[in-house]
Amino acid sequence: MAGVVAAAALVRLPDSGVLAPKQPKPVLAEAPVIGNVAITPEYRRLTLESPAIARSAQPGQFVMLTIARPEDPAPVLPRPMAIYGWDREAGTFDVVYRIVGEGTRRLARWEAGSAMVVVGPLGRGFTLPDRKGSVLFLGRGIGTCSLTSLAGEATAAGFQLHAVASARHRDALVGDEVYRAAGAVQVVTATDDDGSSAPAVLRELLAPLSGGDLVAVYACGSNRLLALGVELASATGAEVQVSLEAHMACGLGFCHGCAAGRPGLPHETPLVCADGPVFRYASPGGGER
Amino acid sequence: MSGTTSPPRVVVRLGSLELANPIMPASGCFGPELGQIVDLNRLGAMVTKTVFADPRSGNPAHRLGETYGGMLNSVGIPSDGAAAFAAELLPRYRAWSPPTIVSLGGLTEEEYWVAAERLADVDGIAAFELNVSCPNLEAGGHELGAVPAAVERVVRGVVDRVSVPVIAKLTPNVTSIAAIAQASEAGGAAAVTAINALQGMAVDPKTRQSRIGTTTAGLTGPAIKPVALRCVWQAARAVSIPVIGVGGITTVDDVIEFILAGATAVQVGSATFTRPDTMIRLVDELEERLIAMGVADIAELVGALELGPAHHDLAEEASAG
Repeated sequence: MAGVVAAAALVRLPDSGVLAPKQPKPVLAEAPVIGNVAITPEYRRLTLESPAIARSAQPGQFVMLTIARPEDPAPVLPRPMAIYGWDREAGTFDVVYRIVGEGTRRLARWEAGSAMVVVGPLGRGFTLPDRKGSVLFLGRGIGTCSLTSLAGEATAAGFQLHAVASARHRDALVGDEVYRAAGAVQVVTATDDDGSSAPAVLRELLAPLSGGDLVAVYACGSNRLLALGVELASATGAEVQVSLEAHMACGLGFCHGCAAGRPGLPHETPLVCADGPVFRYASPGGGER
Repeated sequence: MSGTTSPPRVVVRLGSLELANPIMPASGCFGPELGQIVDLNRLGAMVTKTVFADPRSGNPAHRLGETYGGMLNSVGIPSDGAAAFAAELLPRYRAWSPPTIVSLGGLTEEEYWVAAERLADVDGIAAFELNVSCPNLEAGGHELGAVPAAVERVVRGVVDRVSVPVIAKLTPNVTSIAAIAQASEAGGAAAVTAINALQGMAVDPKTRQSRIGTTTAGLTGPAIKPVALRCVWQAARAVSIPVIGVGGITTVDDVIEFILAGATAVQVGSATFTRPDTMIRLVDELEERLIAMGVADIAELVGALELGPAHHDLAEEASAG
């Protein structure tokens, strides 16, 4: 969701790529801001209180945040943000973001004590396979923040978690502690500046998975990582799921700002918001994985 | 301030169509999906996305952009066509009680008529709003709405084919919106809606590319409110049918301003994206505001703009000379 993947360029998305619905009813909440702090040199974490959202959210779902304050005409569009994690007992959930433009600059100015309009949980999230074994998470930059909410769920369900958090440089890494806290058996942090994010390097580190019990690959934020995941998955017949990002205005399915369909077809499905943001990846060569 | 007065009357009429209140969504910025998070029964009416006679796809990505106080869209009206709309989408509106106004589109005059014919006998349609004003269509689609005679023919052709009120939604991208409003009235429209999106554009200086796939797009949101108010004012003075005001309406002050300028009802578009419960808040706040203003019936405010001694009607001068 919060990745940088261009939907149309990346994946063939047949209707069958839409995952089975597992959608709690979304709510509109005026959620108290519990915290909005820097967690790394590049990323900030916004914590909002909404028991309805925190208790029903599924891994890979997202929220729409209204960044504009009531007295302010900007920004007009809310921002779709992956749910980074939640505390179901406390009724809070987290969103992790990087300041990239005017919208996120304004988001950073929200302080604890105020209440933000938020709609969620939205979209179809990740699903875990029936077959137990190893699962591989491949996230790059902010894209990792779409995967973190699945980590604890996967390990609690008995899957062996292998995770790659990739970024341009060390300050841009995020999410690896979540994987460690979830009990991952392998956490790889990979960066461009020391060459550790190169596909050849990662392929070697992850090679044992393709000869083993890999049952699912979850990717967000990088075409190269997705391609590597598809390659590893093909050896074991593992399923590949990818979370996509798109510009959105409504998050519910009526604005059609995020249609990811193929041009020239009358039908606009899938919509990233309502049919995704998580899709089952089908390789251009044919069969679904 | 007014103690124990009865609630103000907010019922409005658009031709034979009566609305419980003047607040409704703008076409394209609404769908039954919104009913998951807000109570659509509070609305004066519901307005569908634009339906074409036959299926068509929308525009390529990116379809959305943002400017200060506004948004750009070039969705391009994807439609499953009139038959699929009647069979699959319209029934979802019927879960809610407010009247459903169906927006119709076309690239030629005949396409509007065909769409109208296909929906003329379908239950659950309270009115048609003709989108003769989308800025994001291929050739033909938006030129048509800028030519008064063409708008009159489109409207008349639909009026002849249906039994419910027909509303024409006007483009601001013309020299005289008054002339287009008059053509709509001449064609038999029960009301006009003013305005659709302005044509706009946003450029990314780093990539030297437009931020929108189709290069130009429709600008909406608070940024266009002054233009919309002016258009409503000019349209309302030019015709005797009701005007539905739309363009950047976000607050109850905005609603009052449009009504003073001549609007009988209003539509809310971009503000529903900003805060999905905007329309419901406006319904609540409108009643409170009318009480505070001492207004017993909203009809008292329609077109009640007071003109100062320096009033200067540029449009009248333009059409006179």
